[in-house]
Amino acid sequence: MHRLRFLLATIIVLTPGGAFAQGGPTDRPALDEAAAMRGRRVYAEHCINCHGSTAKGGPNGPDLIRSTVVLRDRLGTGVGPAMRATPGSHAATLTPDQVVDVSHFLRERIEAITRNRTPRGPINVLTGNPEAGRAYFNGAGRCSTCHSPAGDLSGLRARMPDGLTLQQRFLFPTLTRSNKQVEVTVTPPSGPPVSGTLVRIDNFSVSLRDAAGDYRAFSRVPGVIVDVRDPLSVHHELLDQYTDDAIHDVVAYLWTLK
Amino acid sequence: MKTAVVLLAVLALAVPLAGQGTVPPSALLHPTADSWPMHNGDYSGRRFSELTTINSDNVASLSLGWTHRITASGPAGGGGSSAVVIKGTPVVANGVLYVTIPDHVWALDARTGRELWHASWASRGGWHIGNRGVAVLGTTVYVETPDCHLLALDNRTGKERWRTEICDLDQFYYASAAPLIVKNHVIVGVSGDDLDIPGYLEAHDPDTGALQWRWYTHPEPGSPEAKTWPSVEAMRHGGGMTWGSTTYDPELNLIYFGTGNPQPVINGRQRSGANLYTGSIVALNPDTGQLAWYFQSSPHDTHDWDSTQTPVLFDGTIDGQPRKLLAQAARNGWFFVLDRQSGRSVSSSEYVKTNWALGVDPKGQPIPNPKKEPQVDGALASPNQSGAQNWPPPAFSPQTGLFYVNATRAFSVYYLYENENDAKPQGWGGNDRGGWSEAMLLALDSQTGAVRWRFNWEGSAATRSGLLATAGHLLFAGDAVGNFVAFDAAAGHPLWHAGLHAQITNGPITYQLDGIQYVVVAANDTLYAFADQRTVSRATR
Repeated sequence: MHRLRFLLATIIVLTPGGAFAQGGPTDRPALDEAAAMRGRRVYAEHCINCHGSTAKGGPNGPDLIRSTVVLRDRLGTGVGPAMRATPGSHAATLTPDQVVDVSHFLRERIEAITRNRTPRGPINVLTGNPEAGRAYFNGAGRCSTCHSPAGDLSGLRARMPDGLTLQQRFLFPTLTRSNKQVEVTVTPPSGPPVSGTLVRIDNFSVSLRDAAGDYRAFSRVPGVIVDVRDPLSVHHELLDQYTDDAIHDVVAYLWTLK
Repeated sequence: MKTAVVLLAVLALAVPLAGQGTVPPSALLHPTADSWPMHNGDYSGRRFSELTTINSDNVASLSLGWTHRITASGPAGGGGSSAVVIKGTPVVANGVLYVTIPDHVWALDARTGRELWHASWASRGGWHIGNRGVAVLGTTVYVETPDCHLLALDNRTGKERWRTEICDLDQFYYASAAPLIVKNHVIVGVSGDDLDIPGYLEAHDPDTGALQWRWYTHPEPGSPEAKTWPSVEAMRHGGGMTWGSTTYDPELNLIYFGTGNPQPVINGRQRSGANLYTGSIVALNPDTGQLAWYFQSSPHDTHDWDSTQTPVLFDGTIDGQPRKLLAQAARNGWFFVLDRQSGRSVSSSEYVKTNWALGVDPKGQPIPNPKKEPQVDGALASPNQSGAQNWPPPAFSPQTGLFYVNATRAFSVYYLYENENDAKPQGWGGNDRGGWSEAMLLALDSQTGAVRWRFNWEGSAATRSGLLATAGHLLFAGDAVGNFVAFDAAAGHPLWHAGLHAQITNGPITYQLDGIQYVVVAANDTLYAFADQRTVSRATR
């Protein structure tokens, strides 16, 4: 039974890019954005030459994001003494308030790094060659077997918020936006085959909704034959065949389908 | 004569009483059938039990013995999901079962699931992504907390004996691993992937918590291995966390563990080179923390493919010679068999089809394809970030000679972000997105990696169930839709299954008490203990 391979559309895909809560200590100072803005100006005036525009350091000053003094700082408790301890390289005398503001600015920079697994701007995936994409669509990719610019892909671009979404939906389509469903036929050891749309399947049971709208469930005991037909299975098989160039070309071509 | 008999009786009583509640080092070196005294059951990491009370002939009548649902509220502070999920492997000693979630330890009666005590910890922060379980020695239970503490608890009450800090929350480390007791060392690993910080493994005194040694997962500056980094600064901020499970060979006196991904995690452009000792299998002397050898499973990783999967120890015969072997099914989709004395490769092979390697180097280490590194406009990679395997523990059966892995074949697209827009990316600098995956249980030839049988998990995109092999010719495994299944370990077909209310979330264990063999597994917030209840009926008749 388990020799049958089913490629399910209804699977839950893991999305590591999803909502991440942040680590670090709970007692780290809450970020005061106004103070961080003031601190940015102080930093630009007194610190930027040596520690760099992003506080990641340079030839004349260490990286402050990776500094344990800064990471352990609580509103200037680390940064202030560290500056005073090295007067030779910290000629400017900052007021206590300015030290606190710089501390907020550095805290803002650190927290930006901890969020660096999430994009802050658009991702440009439209780097391919549309003509090469059209050729692939109609040729090697065999996309035109099921899809056409005048048919299901008509007005595609208007339906896509951006190229990134288009690229993701092209590579990993789901059935939720189409009228198609996974079809299944179950043949019991005795009795006629029962067909319908798949509700749920695992290795031990299968259920479907038949044409009359009735829910039908079966235990997958010996002798039960299950035939699953997933419209997306060809897309899953294609994941082994795409080159990254072909992906970028096809996305560039699909983006032209206004 | 009569006095002598009475004395003997008193002694006979006194010995088990004196021993009750304590776990001597010998119980860890030679675990008894009534225990599962450490994360992997024994030092080998095989997760193989000699028990045969439940076996392939009678497993079909396995039924529910007890359940225990954890009712603590979600993790306090610091982050992570608030859902209660048991990811750790329970430890069983002297009839007591210890189970954890982050900041919580419960002691249960291993026969009934009844709670004996519950210890909770007021957290100061850290990721609450999971806790892998406790270690026990003497009358102490050891556990790591997300806010970077190693706690020693009294095994009779759960009361704290001492605490020690094992990492720095301010640098965004956290702690999740199961400690391992080796002689008079409590070996602990650390986690943290938010900033660029060095990984390390360290050992503490079991009685006082004092630090004995710390081994950083990067080379010494100036050593040949340091040339695998562009600078000392990049190396000292290069990641390589130690959150997986550690194994131990008492004869060689070596501990084995896998190291995590390098940092920055996704953008590797400012850390050109192989980035040792990240993504590696490492052998250390447990008394000194001195490096014996390393093998890099994932050179210059840019896909978050930790190599923290269990290095499993077993013996084999190769070309007529007995060999001490080690095998790992790595997150990057490759299966490595090494000589665990020398660290030299025996075989390297893909256990699922991947698309990121150009082949292997003379040492047997995969050669990453630069084109499959994350790109600004995306690179389709397989496996995805979750990997072909992750933290759920594998198993090895000396009965079948097969290495079992609950594997995933997955695709996603890896993007480089230009968030920082400067020459020194930090943190992640990218991520993967989307994807499609299929889950399967694989039995691999433990010397060549060849797939001997494959069972596709239908309806599960990826599994989080660990594995358990037994001398009863069985392999226990779970899927993502709540099925807990006993397989014929040699042939790979299901012999029994139970539908639990949620996906299987940890590694199953087994132990035998009063002649009854229990198999215990977790599905989200609940432990399920299965037993042959016919045995129970006979006992109470």
